[in-house]
Amino acid sequence: MRTPIAWLNLVHEKTRLVVAIAGVAFAVILVFMNLGFLGSLAKTAALIYNQINADIFLVSPQALEITTTKAFPIERIYQAAGVPGVERTMPLYVGYLQWRNPITRQSRAMFVYGINPNDPVFVMPELRSPENQAALRRWDTVLIDRLSRPEFGPQDIGTVTEAGRRNVTIGGQYSMGGGFASDGTLIMSDQNFRRYLAPIPLNLINLGLIKLEPGADPQQVKAELQRILPKDVLVFTRQEIIERDRDYWISATSIGFMFTMGVIVSLVVGVVIVYQILYTDIASHMKQYATLKAMGYNKRFLFALILQEAIILAVLGYIPGFIIAVGLYELTTRATAGGLPIGMEVSRAVLVLVLTILMCSISGLISVQKAVTADPADVF
Amino acid sequence: MIHHSTAPSFEFNDIGLADDQYAVRIRNLSHHFGTGDLKTQVLYDINLDLKRGQIVILTGPSGSGKTTLISLIGALRSAQSGSLKVLGKELVGLNKAQLVEVRRNIGFIFQAHNLFDSLTASQNVEMAVELLEDWGEKRAKAAEILAKVGLASRVHYKPKALSGGQKQRVAIARALVNEPALILADEPTAALDKKSGREVVTLMQKLAKEQGRTILIVTHDNSILDVADRIINLVDGRLESDQSLETFVNTHDPKSLDRRMFIM
Ligand SMILES: Nc1ncnc2c1ncn2[C@@H]1O[C@H](COP(=O)(O)OP(=O)(O)OP(=O)(O)O)[C@@H](O)[C@H]1O
Ligand SMILES: [Mg+2]
Repeated sequence: MRTPIAWLNLVHEKTRLVVAIAGVAFAVILVFMNLGFLGSLAKTAALIYNQINADIFLVSPQALEITTTKAFPIERIYQAAGVPGVERTMPLYVGYLQWRNPITRQSRAMFVYGINPNDPVFVMPELRSPENQAALRRWDTVLIDRLSRPEFGPQDIGTVTEAGRRNVTIGGQYSMGGGFASDGTLIMSDQNFRRYLAPIPLNLINLGLIKLEPGADPQQVKAELQRILPKDVLVFTRQEIIERDRDYWISATSIGFMFTMGVIVSLVVGVVIVYQILYTDIASHMKQYATLKAMGYNKRFLFALILQEAIILAVLGYIPGFIIAVGLYELTTRATAGGLPIGMEVSRAVLVLVLTILMCSISGLISVQKAVTADPADVF
Repeated sequence: MIHHSTAPSFEFNDIGLADDQYAVRIRNLSHHFGTGDLKTQVLYDINLDLKRGQIVILTGPSGSGKTTLISLIGALRSAQSGSLKVLGKELVGLNKAQLVEVRRNIGFIFQAHNLFDSLTASQNVEMAVELLEDWGEKRAKAAEILAKVGLASRVHYKPKALSGGQKQRVAIARALVNEPALILADEPTAALDKKSGREVVTLMQKLAKEQGRTILIVTHDNSILDVADRIINLVDGRLESDQSLETFVNTHDPKSLDRRMFIM
């Protein structure tokens, strides 16, 4: 076996090695966090729509994403109901409501879903429990999302507080998560919705939900809907509307740009740190490298040596970076009460490992320029 | 006393011998540093043959071109003009990659030991063996040569834990482990005290005699001249004299010798 000189050189200088590992780990953590947020943007969109019991969605062309919609006439879902393949259509009302924490008396915006209690709008089975069904039908009673931020106050059934200057009673709970746009969610009946978010007429809806008969082809139904419906609504399959929301978050807002920049800046910082470390290491070994050349080692050997050092640093820095990032993901999920679905994914772990190796290799390639200039004639 | 002539400064008395009797054959070798107005000549028309198995000492004042000459012979620099045959191979006109190949057959000993601090004595020596891709035997070879230079008990020490003389002996072991036919040493004793300097040179002499190596040593150290079979004096880039130890000592009274050697 070849003497593992790259490894031995690195571990020989303990302090330098620790600094290098810390530097790489730092960059790795930043990249993981940025990619994590970016990924949770995408996931959030899917998360909400996947809880909705519909195959095709109608929205206004002015809608940006689920919390920024524009109401359209309820007639559209009545028209849609006649299309072959459609099993059922349901209106969904959405809006924001100021929710007062009964303990601190502080108000915060809650995102509210208003539904017809007879419609199976959501897939969460707990919504179908007799207690929740009964609660949905009571006046001034709402169901609260367990994943709402703790700042909204107690979620116990029977808690009475104020929402939009009216008294409100918590009648039940469910788990959903608000994603990026909201810190907490409520579900209430359309009748309650009309009163809390007055003046909103129930003949204007925010989303039209269409459930298909088993075996119906969503694309075919969608085409038919597009044909018969006026241009004041757009028709999307579930996958399409998830992508539309995701694209909105990632491209149309500066959030996506911000996180992408975050990744790039972190990598550049990493390149600079690793370059510094490698350059110092090379500078202090020029005599030895020149000697190796005098002995008959060629440029390629030195090149490989530096690149090996770079890759070792990448892997050594990646490991603690990965572990800390997993911890931070956990922390973020807990801080957002599960509302921000940020978690480690194999594909992301691999991507970041590749990026880290790439980052260190770039540093290696820059600094190796110095090592290969080691002139054997200089050692005499 | 000093012959400044462009003609060969000594006679070739072995004209009849075949090429492979020589480790080094130099004909009309000149060397310049720099280009254009800055171009300066440092070696003038050098002619020199080194017979195999000889220990040759190269002396001369500072700046006379000793290091330049030895680095040309060692294929560490590209030779520019004339002819320079090392171990039967013509070096003039070789490219960098070809020079690297030539160097693998030469053992170098430098003024500084240039060992890797991160590697043990054995690993430093093994780096040389690895050039031959001799993976199986490298540890045994390193241990054997380190024992020969008197470091059997220090095989796994890192340079930090070795004295200056011991480090230089590791460097010698590294230069010798591949049994190169030619060994080049530039002031190998300069960083050592008199006693360890002496030990190091005696060791080189012993190993060279045992294994029939050719050794060229550049030195300012008069106390080690006695190991030489032959002493060459380089002055201002020209070979001035070539003689055996006796004639060298007889013709150079110590005072003038010292003076000349340390003139800048
Ligand atoms: N890389 C170089 N570029 C330009 N000039 C050089 C270079 N190396 C050496 N020289 C010049 O060549 C001349 C010979 O230098 P060299 O190092 O061969 O002398 P030396 O005999 O080894 O001296 P010393 O005994 O001090 O080591 C000197 O005048 C030196 O300034
Ligand atoms: Mg010199």
